Amino acid sequence: MAAPSISPTDLELVARLRAGDEDAFMMLVTALGPSMRRVARMYVSTDAVADEVVQDAWVGVLRGLGSFEGRSTLRTWIFRILVNIAKTRGQREGRSVPFATLAGDDLQEPSIDPSAFRGPDDPAAGSWSTLPFDWRGMPEQRAEGSETIRVIGRAIATLPPLQAEVIRLRDVQGWSSEEVRNALDLSETNQRVLLHRARARVRRALEEHLRSVSQA
Amino acid sequence: MSADAEITCREVVELLSGLLDDELPARERARVEAHLTACDGCSMILDELRETVRLTGRLTEEDLTAHQSATLLDAFRSWRAGG
Repeated sequence: MAAPSISPTDLELVARLRAGDEDAFMMLVTALGPSMRRVARMYVSTDAVADEVVQDAWVGVLRGLGSFEGRSTLRTWIFRILVNIAKTRGQREGRSVPFATLAGDDLQEPSIDPSAFRGPDDPAAGSWSTLPFDWRGMPEQRAEGSETIRVIGRAIATLPPLQAEVIRLRDVQGWSSEEVRNALDLSETNQRVLLHRARARVRRALEEHLRSVSQA
Repeated sequence: MSADAEITCREVVELLSGLLDDELPARERARVEAHLTACDGCSMILDELRETVRLTGRLTEEDLTAHQSATLLDAFRSWRAGG
């Protein structure tokens, strides 16, 4: 890995925070707060405790600002502080949440219904036998409508917590895979599998929604 | 599976998210790309997955409640005051 160098954006933000700039702080709180609260909630028992964890994390961030070296992005560094506090707090509550509960027990399941493919006895085993509904080229106002966005939101909300957070950070907020991996303390493989599962579930929700719209 | 073994549609669909993010090992990527040039079904899933990612990017994060923001602003002010 290259020598740590703080990105210009983070450098400016850190400088503003160190100078006591309230707007800079609130911008960060607004941008990261909802995700931080959800991540904290994975490890602790109630919303109220999660809020406390988030508050403690921000205090830790402010205390540690002087030692932020830019080895990761600022938001990743903030999440590391958050996750450490949340895990410690969860342990103190006697609450230990297995990885499988957070990640979902469906990580190894196929992302497309196996019946869509030819069976093992077929000479062309594993190739398509029935293609899913093709929603490419749906009129834009349908695919782009607010109902479609709601469908995606609902699909994400029903995902296991870690799948949901990975797709939110990656595809809604645009974090890099490295950032998400570091922020949530995931292996490279786990990050990739969680995102793959989440996207597959959202794609399927879109397929079902757009098929029903096309038949309406 | 040898490097030259045919990759099936069923296997390819599990690799498309990694392909979109350019996270597949070079050899695996080459096999998936070769498959896609000849497979309309898998190309369709790739297109839809790309569209899924694009549409997901249009979601917005709900704002923090005013209550939480106010409490945090207090924390920031006391930190700045050396508290």
